[in-house]
Amino acid sequence: MTAPATSSRRLRFERLPLRRIILISLSIAIVYGVVAGSAATLRMGTFTAADWRSLVINGIARGSVYALIAIGYTLVYGILFMINFAHGEVFMSGAYTAFFVAVAFGRSGYLNAHPLVSIGAILIVSMVTSTLVAVILERVAYRPLRGAPRLVPLITAIGASFFLQYTFRGLYGAQARAYPTINVLQGTWTIFGVEILRTQVIVVVAAILLWIALFTFVAKTRTGRSMRAVGEDREIAALMGINVDRTIVATFAIGGALAGAAGILYVFLFNQVIFTMGFFPGIKAFTAAVLGGIGSVTGAAMGGLLLGVLEAVGPNLFLTGVGVPSPNQLQPVVAFGILVLVLIFLPGGFLGAPEEKRA
Amino acid sequence: MRAALSRDNVRAGLIGGVTVLYLALVGMIERFQDRDVITDVIGLGTLLILIGLAGTGYMASRPPKPRPGRKPVTANPALIGLVAGTTAGVLAGAVILILELLISAGVDVRSVLASVTPGMLSTMEFGLGPVGGALILVGLGAALGAGAGALRLLSDQLRDTVTFTLTAVLLMSLMEPILSAVLDGLSLPDRWLYEGGGLTVLGAVLTVVAAGAGRWFWKEREPQRKEAVALLPADRRTLYRKLAVFAAVAFLVVLPWLVGSFISDVLGTVGLYVLLGLGLNIVVGYAGLLDLGYVAFFAVGAYATGVLTSPASYLVREEGQLFAEKGLTNFWVALPFVVLIAVIIGILIGAPVLRLRGDYLAIVTLGFGEIIRTLVLSDWLAPYLGGAQGLLNVPPPPPEALDLRAPQNVYYLILVFCGIAAFVAWRLSDSRIGRAWAAMREDESVAEAMGVSIIRYKLLAFAMGAGVGSLGGVFFAAKIGSIFPNSFGLLVSINVLSVIILGGLGSIPGVIVGSAVLVGLPELLREFAEFRLLIYGAILVAIMILRPEGLVPNKRRQRELHARDAEAELSVIVTDEATS
Amino acid sequence: MRTSKLWRITLLLAVLALIAGACTDSGGVPAECESDAFGCVEVGAGDPIEVGTLLVITGPNAFLGQDSQNGVVLAADYLDGTFDQVNGEIDGHVISFNHQDDGCSADGGQSGAQSLVSDTAIVAVIGTSCSSAALGVADKILSDRGIALISPSNTGPALTEPSQHQPFYLRTAHNDKLQGAAVANFAYNELGARTAATIHDGSPYADGLQQVFADRFVELGGEITVQDAIQVGDTDFTSVLTTVAANPPDVLYYPIFVAEGGLITQQARQTAGLENTTLIGSDGMLTQGFLDAAGEASIGMYLSGPDLSAFSGDAAFYAGAFKTAYAAQFGGEPGAAFHAHSYDAANMLFKAIEKVGIVDGDALYIPRTALKDALFETQGLVGITGTLNCNADGDCQSTATIGVYQVETPDSLPAAPVYSEVATLE
Repeated sequence: MTAPATSSRRLRFERLPLRRIILISLSIAIVYGVVAGSAATLRMGTFTAADWRSLVINGIARGSVYALIAIGYTLVYGILFMINFAHGEVFMSGAYTAFFVAVAFGRSGYLNAHPLVSIGAILIVSMVTSTLVAVILERVAYRPLRGAPRLVPLITAIGASFFLQYTFRGLYGAQARAYPTINVLQGTWTIFGVEILRTQVIVVVAAILLWIALFTFVAKTRTGRSMRAVGEDREIAALMGINVDRTIVATFAIGGALAGAAGILYVFLFNQVIFTMGFFPGIKAFTAAVLGGIGSVTGAAMGGLLLGVLEAVGPNLFLTGVGVPSPNQLQPVVAFGILVLVLIFLPGGFLGAPEEKRA
Repeated sequence: MRAALSRDNVRAGLIGGVTVLYLALVGMIERFQDRDVITDVIGLGTLLILIGLAGTGYMASRPPKPRPGRKPVTANPALIGLVAGTTAGVLAGAVILILELLISAGVDVRSVLASVTPGMLSTMEFGLGPVGGALILVGLGAALGAGAGALRLLSDQLRDTVTFTLTAVLLMSLMEPILSAVLDGLSLPDRWLYEGGGLTVLGAVLTVVAAGAGRWFWKEREPQRKEAVALLPADRRTLYRKLAVFAAVAFLVVLPWLVGSFISDVLGTVGLYVLLGLGLNIVVGYAGLLDLGYVAFFAVGAYATGVLTSPASYLVREEGQLFAEKGLTNFWVALPFVVLIAVIIGILIGAPVLRLRGDYLAIVTLGFGEIIRTLVLSDWLAPYLGGAQGLLNVPPPPPEALDLRAPQNVYYLILVFCGIAAFVAWRLSDSRIGRAWAAMREDESVAEAMGVSIIRYKLLAFAMGAGVGSLGGVFFAAKIGSIFPNSFGLLVSINVLSVIILGGLGSIPGVIVGSAVLVGLPELLREFAEFRLLIYGAILVAIMILRPEGLVPNKRRQRELHARDAEAELSVIVTDEATS
Repeated sequence: MRTSKLWRITLLLAVLALIAGACTDSGGVPAECESDAFGCVEVGAGDPIEVGTLLVITGPNAFLGQDSQNGVVLAADYLDGTFDQVNGEIDGHVISFNHQDDGCSADGGQSGAQSLVSDTAIVAVIGTSCSSAALGVADKILSDRGIALISPSNTGPALTEPSQHQPFYLRTAHNDKLQGAAVANFAYNELGARTAATIHDGSPYADGLQQVFADRFVELGGEITVQDAIQVGDTDFTSVLTTVAANPPDVLYYPIFVAEGGLITQQARQTAGLENTTLIGSDGMLTQGFLDAAGEASIGMYLSGPDLSAFSGDAAFYAGAFKTAYAAQFGGEPGAAFHAHSYDAANMLFKAIEKVGIVDGDALYIPRTALKDALFETQGLVGITGTLNCNADGDCQSTATIGVYQVETPDSLPAAPVYSEVATLE
């Protein structure tokens, strides 16, 4: 008599949906927190409509930069199924190296006499540097590890990230430096009756243009098609006459060039370079890539924008109303909390496949 | 000679030259020059230049890999070394000369390249001025390159002995902090061996003689020794193995008294990472869940300990009477509660997200790590957790007589913790649970079809990992006594993950070796602190490329990896054929 | 039996020989060392005097510690009266360093301190950079071994609270209690501000300083509108600034560090609603590095710090020879404010070593407790950060002249403060 009783009790325990209970209560808690917090904040009326508008615009601007870096992550992931942890450092290397060109231009007065040419030159230096770093990175740290278990390249990527950070610290020094002022970028433009900082407009427009260019490239060109083919199945792609190594290098180069461009856009917004500047944007871009569905270029762009806006608006909107002190300090809690919520309901992010092809 | 002047060799030389310049331009050469390898004879910076140039020749003269369809080019290795070394020397010399010219032309080179200091240039030029320096770099490149290449002409035994001896001198010199601590600990004199941070000339000579002779005879006897081991009867071998284990344990027990307080402190930190590594190994190595936010449980452990026992904490401050009466501020009483709290938090965190796979799980766990760090830092929870000002004066574990904050005693504390964790991990790996994890790791859908309850086993792994991780936090709180939020950054998670992968995923000895390499070595390189992370990164990349399966791989996994290798090789061949 | 007797005789002879040796002036240990609770550091003939540093030289705060380390190195260089990149000597023994990293964290402070105490030749340590590396960690470990720890940049009040203070701990950095209150006085009385907001970055330094400021400001009758915080390493602070601007304060006080400080300054100028808000920072930002990072946006803002002009003699030295030597040896402008404090800390140490060192032939003996006492007895020592007067709790800037400077151009730091206040610890 006792044996069946215990077994049925165990069965009942197994059926006890502990996980589901936690999941549902967590979701309810987050949703309640978000809704109640927002309602309370809005009722308080601390912030005006103009405040919210400027927060959203700020969020979109920084989100555009995240999006460009995230595309680099996602491209590499789509083809190699590895997280290129050192991508943030690729981003840093370009912006930091171009700094010296900008300073040289700034000193000679050329920068403000011929701003377009100068910005073009700075952009090219940054993109070329980042591309070079990305390609060398692939050659030295990742290529010898094709076919190794997937955690191994993750560790070399982490190693490369430290290595690059401290290499640039050794080369250029440890202090933060401000880019010289470019006069044409100062001030605001009025768009649909809203005053927006010029830098923000330029950053968003440039990011959209780069995204369109990349999207066309991947969809239309031969290299782009090879990239998709290699991501789909490396061996078959090789059999179809695609040079796998060259395609992978091309992927790193494109990701690097975008990171280089993102570096300059980042500098337009924040005006500052330091050797650690790649780390946090790197992590955030990685988050954005996952949020959008890693492997998807469009998803990376969406993820970046969403994350940017969430970071800008979230703490004030959700937390001010409930009287949490120093709400902006809790920005990572808000951003990652929403990430968890999204992934609970969309386990593959917005545009990713829910089940990965290769676990 | 013409065969030696091939493009490959010149390229090797250029790579060597770039490496030497890299070391100079990131500031390593100048900074390392402060440290004498052999006091008043040669500094570490100079030695780096020499190693760079000689290494160029040695690498370039490697016997070429036989490749189908390509005729092996044979050239005198000394000549190859000469070509490569000279190329490296010319490149390095030329760049140094250009830098000098720019500086004398009034260009502010240092505003861009911060490490181009007079000290760096003088070290690179061996104190001979720009022109003399450039010439000597070329000359040294040629001589050392040719010499290193000529090593290839020696017999294996001799070459091995020479390289071993040179490495031994360098290591002896670098181990100065440990060895002089050991000598001090045994109250033996050390002035004959070390002076001013480097080896004495006598010490260097003795090292050369001892290492050279030892290695020579060791190599000479190698075949006989292997034979003798092979001939040992099985019961003898198990006996010897047991003796070796016993000796290892005995060694671990006496170690702190041998090496003094600083190395004991380092050992304590290494032990902390062993503990965290063992915990994360359950999650990543056994269950195959990529966790990038393991620091969360470490933080929970430390903070829970602090909150329960520190007189500065809210609980003890406000509810002091109650807590003190019940004896709850005692470290040992708090310990099980802390682990319980961590396990509950582990389940709470794990339950909603364990359905996610691979990199999605990685980013979510990373997020949880950041969330916990932000929460303990926040002004919001500051009244309870201390916020930016931290939790101070966490009492050391009682009884006071044991003084469990002195480095040597702390070491025993962590040794016990690690022993328990290692035992649990070892028993788990071969249990029913361990096999279920292995099945899940290999193929989730198949495991599920075979009746393994994926979520339950994942949760179990996560909860156990959380428990062990919190034990790390408990130890940390006991060891340091002050808990600040910035001790719980993303870097900790990354370090622990690197430790277990570098050591060999799923391998318990691997965790120990990985922790010794990644946590112990950098601590010993403290005096080059600003390059610590650079070297750390380089070591990570180098070891993973040379030994992707880790330093002490788990046997089963190694087999899997090699099966995969064969597969990968196949695909490479296919690729080659497709492209040619 | 016979052997043991032989041993005993040998031992006796050896002891006699030792005593005989001790009586001649070459081999013995001075009586001061015998009586000193922690004994002496023995610097043998031709050996250097080893000084430890325990400053943050890696990670994102490296600029702070590196700059302080440079200050210590320059002090040793100038010990012989010239900046020639050759360390000076005390009693014929050259100064040498053992540089360690405090990691700006409690665990970093612990391993660094353990590393230093294992080197028995270390006379004293200049450090730590971050209060969290010292508090209950490095200060305790070093004090337990009788090694003096002099911090150039710990400003956290807790370190010199009598209940916390460790016997061998001193600092040349001013206590936050002085600076935070001085800034509040300046804002309320001089600027006429009645509302203020503060931002900190989660470091114990910034958090403590803004709290002292806020408390004093409220005490004076002002109102604190917002106290918010940011994350170190972040770059977009528009949300926190919007929070502040929602109820525009007269003064925004953000006593943080160079990188984030520069960004907040720039972004505050672009935030609608903060046009009439006065920006104030503190000595974490009182550097050329901050002006570089903030650029034009820094013009008109206020920065508090030690009033260098109050001591005209050394201010001239500081602006002239010192800065020149700094640029020559380390390239460029100082990256943080505390190189001056570390320079003073090192000089204070050298003075104390000169005072208590016992020259014995070619050897030098430095009794540890006596050295500590000499350090605590430091009075009226004119340094470049002010006159050092150490009190019993280890605060050597027990009376500090705090200046508030107004930035006129991002190209150079203002020479003279617009407000100066002599503040004394109770």
